[in-house]
Amino acid sequence: MTASAKREAGDPASPFGNAQTPFAGFGLGLRVPHYADILDARTGPHPDVDWFEIISENFFEAGGLPRRNLMRVRERYPVAMHGVSLSIGSSDPLDMDYLHRLKTLADLLNPPVLSDHLCWTGAHGLNMHDLLPVPLTEESLKHVAGRVRQVQDILGRRIALENPSSYVAFDCDEMSEWDYLSELTRQADCDLLLDVNNVYVSSVNHDFDAVAYLDGLPADRIKQIHLAGHENNGDHIVDTHDAPVTGVVWTLYGKAVERFGTVPTMIERDGKIPAFDILVAELQTARRLQRGVLHAAPKERAA
Amino acid sequence: MTTLANLQTLFQRHLLEGDAALAPYLARGGAFLPVYRNAYGARLREIMAGEFPGVAALLGPDRFEATVDVYLADHPSTHRNARWLGRHFTDWLGATDIGRRHPVLVDMAAYEWALSFAFDAADADALPPEVFATVPPDAWPGLTFAFHPSLRLLTLGHDLVDFRKAAAEERDPDNAPTALEKTSGWAVWRDAESLTVQHRPLADDEADGLSALTDGGDFSNLCDRIADHLDASLVAARAAELLGHWVGAGWIVDLGGFTLDAHAD
Repeated sequence: MTASAKREAGDPASPFGNAQTPFAGFGLGLRVPHYADILDARTGPHPDVDWFEIISENFFEAGGLPRRNLMRVRERYPVAMHGVSLSIGSSDPLDMDYLHRLKTLADLLNPPVLSDHLCWTGAHGLNMHDLLPVPLTEESLKHVAGRVRQVQDILGRRIALENPSSYVAFDCDEMSEWDYLSELTRQADCDLLLDVNNVYVSSVNHDFDAVAYLDGLPADRIKQIHLAGHENNGDHIVDTHDAPVTGVVWTLYGKAVERFGTVPTMIERDGKIPAFDILVAELQTARRLQRGVLHAAPKERAA
Repeated sequence: MTTLANLQTLFQRHLLEGDAALAPYLARGGAFLPVYRNAYGARLREIMAGEFPGVAALLGPDRFEATVDVYLADHPSTHRNARWLGRHFTDWLGATDIGRRHPVLVDMAAYEWALSFAFDAADADALPPEVFATVPPDAWPGLTFAFHPSLRLLTLGHDLVDFRKAAAEERDPDNAPTALEKTSGWAVWRDAESLTVQHRPLADDEADGLSALTDGGDFSNLCDRIADHLDASLVAARAAELLGHWVGAGWIVDLGGFTLDAHAD
């Protein structure tokens, strides 16, 4: 039995071993333009969409249509929670009001994965509403790991942190991002959300080997995969989420499947959002690619 | 100060003010640092344009962007949820030269913020009409009312509705908002069934009475405000009529000032 299987079955050594909503297959980010398709009363759950992921903060307010629609979606599908404002890397104290709201929503939805990003979003009481990079130092690692443990204690569940896209690195960096994330999972007993597009974007912006990044991550901690489109500006790439997944990212996703297997995978689209069926068709590409990779290379994967 | 805190202070100062002190701490000269500053401005302007399409349409894109940039410099976001970014905008705009010269902008900002607030304010169950029959006559003067969290009262000097609707739908409005002969009270709230945001003008006595109650006043205060507008002989009937409207619209969610159990028998 692998370490991850033990945890899912209820590892007595972990405080976060309770069974959660079953999670497998392929999902999409829940976006307002698609509600009518998703909640069409004449149909049941879409046969090609296994789950949805929400931006957690969009549902922190307690009422109205957002909450009603969310609960209708939850009746049909597992709903993963993905946050953008935990600010786990900030030098500010943890925001207890934010964590209370996050916990209230998580207790309502019982998400199979609750994630945010390895980043900070503001300091000195301000919020920049962006996923800003943390210096990859022992100092910040210790700081972030301690805060992840605190957050998990408060939420009563393990969280997953996503590798961000980044456009600058710090002179004081002491390790690679994949080593940082690997060590973070050990120190904080947390999981990872692997954004394959972000790996590619950062690999170009910082000139590192994207496959080496994947090889450096602990396979048993990868609980979810994100795919998205980007904007190539020649000497750098920006993570825009407003275009289809590119060929080079599909190729890297194939490498990720080879290494990590059938990790639940979704496509994020936040700008120029196409019709629901178009995104579902793109999701089918991921499904076919995963099936093809696993069929071609049914080898034992690293734990 | 630790390295982490120091770097974050410099990074944030760069985003807010364009301060260059961060650059020496970045690998490869931080060649792509502008991605962050450009994204910061673009993202927050987009959020504000989404919250205030009517103000944006009144000002035009360039002046709206410039106005928002000054607002954000005065009120950088302090909330984890970007949904609250515009919460100071109406008051801020009202204190600016452009807001004083063009009060329609301030009216529009207030109206749009009320619409946005009502959209996802907390849910609350409307009080069933039959509860009022359980209130003993001697408790009525001290009766207080809790209103639905989505209800917002506004005082507007312009007819904004059609212009704002067109702006929100990215259509060219037929006409600019017209100034009213006198300011008028408006209510904005979320309908309990459809969960759509509603709005309607209020009669003067209704606006005054509602203001008294939302400020913590009781039924006797409501009657006093109505009496400012009507003959004393008509006040009781008008108060009952208004309560009927408010209950029917789902605005009243609780009563205070008496204990139901104590009067149950």
